[in-house]
Amino acid sequence: MGLLSILKKMRQKERELRLLMLGLDNAGKTTILKKFNGDEIDTISPTLGFNIKTLEHRGFKLNIWDVGGQTSLRSYWKNYFESTDGLIWVVDSADRQRLEDCKRELQSLLVEERLAGATLIIFANKQDLPGALSPSAIQEALDLDSIQTHHWCIQGCSAYTGENLLAGIDWLLDDIASRIFTAD
Amino acid sequence: MIIHLWSYLYKHVFRFWIKWILRQLTGKCELQRICDGSKKSAERTLKIEHSLESSKNKVLQSAVHAPEDEVKKYVALIMKEKKIDIQKDTGFSLKLQMCLLQITGYKKLYLDVEDLRKCQYNSCNEGHEKQLIELWNLLMPHEKLKARITKQWCDIGFQGDDPKTDFRGMGMLGLVNLLYFSKHYTHEARQILTRSNNPKLGYSYAIVGINLTEMAYSLLKNGALKTYFYNLVPSVAQMDHFHRFYCYLAYEFDKFWFEEEPESIMYFNQYREKFHEIIKRRLQDYDVVLAL
Repeated sequence: MGLLSILKKMRQKERELRLLMLGLDNAGKTTILKKFNGDEIDTISPTLGFNIKTLEHRGFKLNIWDVGGQTSLRSYWKNYFESTDGLIWVVDSADRQRLEDCKRELQSLLVEERLAGATLIIFANKQDLPGALSPSAIQEALDLDSIQTHHWCIQGCSAYTGENLLAGIDWLLDDIASRIFTAD
Repeated sequence: MIIHLWSYLYKHVFRFWIKWILRQLTGKCELQRICDGSKKSAERTLKIEHSLESSKNKVLQSAVHAPEDEVKKYVALIMKEKKIDIQKDTGFSLKLQMCLLQITGYKKLYLDVEDLRKCQYNSCNEGHEKQLIELWNLLMPHEKLKARITKQWCDIGFQGDDPKTDFRGMGMLGLVNLLYFSKHYTHEARQILTRSNNPKLGYSYAIVGINLTEMAYSLLKNGALKTYFYNLVPSVAQMDHFHRFYCYLAYEFDKFWFEEEPESIMYFNQYREKFHEIIKRRLQDYDVVLAL
């Protein structure tokens, strides 16, 4: 038994998952993380660097990495790819002007070798805002249907109210679990 | 368990009897003993505040929430409740009045700061827009802003081409702090902005500023800033004093960052926490004086 498979076994036992949350600045990544963790969300400042939270959910130990999205930080994203089980891509559904940017950044992630095995959930966030595009409109704008390389799903949500965050995370966990924990 | 029991007993039984015995021995109530025993500083005001808040007497309890113009009335009421003879202890009423002004002033200041934080940056508000442009002009006197929405904002450390979204959690409080520093310490602000563009140790000037506003705000909210205010302002603290504390943080953080030489900006949160701990430790000192 090689070291790798021992590590794999240990991880299976612990049911520990690594989730990476990315998206443009002001998409709502930190708010999602805090809301999901039950923290206060009304005094959040823009993220420089990253936040990491470990939390238990449905018997899984989730390590969620929330990395800042401003342009100057995006070149650092690659430092966080390693052993990612799930990628959470967060979109500000009300920011129509930057959907092209958003699409380009997402596509550049999907060709990354180190993210190849990761399940992808797209959160169409800020559904509580008037003028927010629907999840299906986001799906079209980001050309999600062309994604062949990853299991993916889009979920409309509001980090502000907490609506549908759980549904999205649960889908992500189910998909990851069916891939890695039932393999043997 | 034992600690819980002890603190319960102390609060509800022993404290009363210890105070009663001391009162018989010295002929003075706890408030008088604090005023006599401690010098004019945060120590005295903090002890008075604690004594009033843990009192069972309704007048004493509500004194810490008195509006500024009723402080004198409350001093008289407390002296009457505690049967303090103004002739025997002539300095007492003035000392108590000063403490009460500081205590109630702090609470009022928090409400004012909270109002400003809750006030969202609004692009349709001329006043807000004017302040944002003024910030640019103060920091970048030799470069004109080409448009309201422009990548140039990144030059002073905002995230994108419109700073509006960066103020989300801290609202106008974030902008007013940045502006105050640039206006009152223009030389230092420009110097720090230049340093923040360092190719190796650089950081986003405005975003770090907003993060430091959050730090100042949370320290005010949890009461850690009391020592700072009670030592600095002998009566009612004003918004200005809060902005000055922000300036202190902005100046000190820059110094700290360059001393620590972090590997990259990605470690900002870890260093911010370390800095936060240093500031909290400084604020625990009764005699703390923090000034730029």
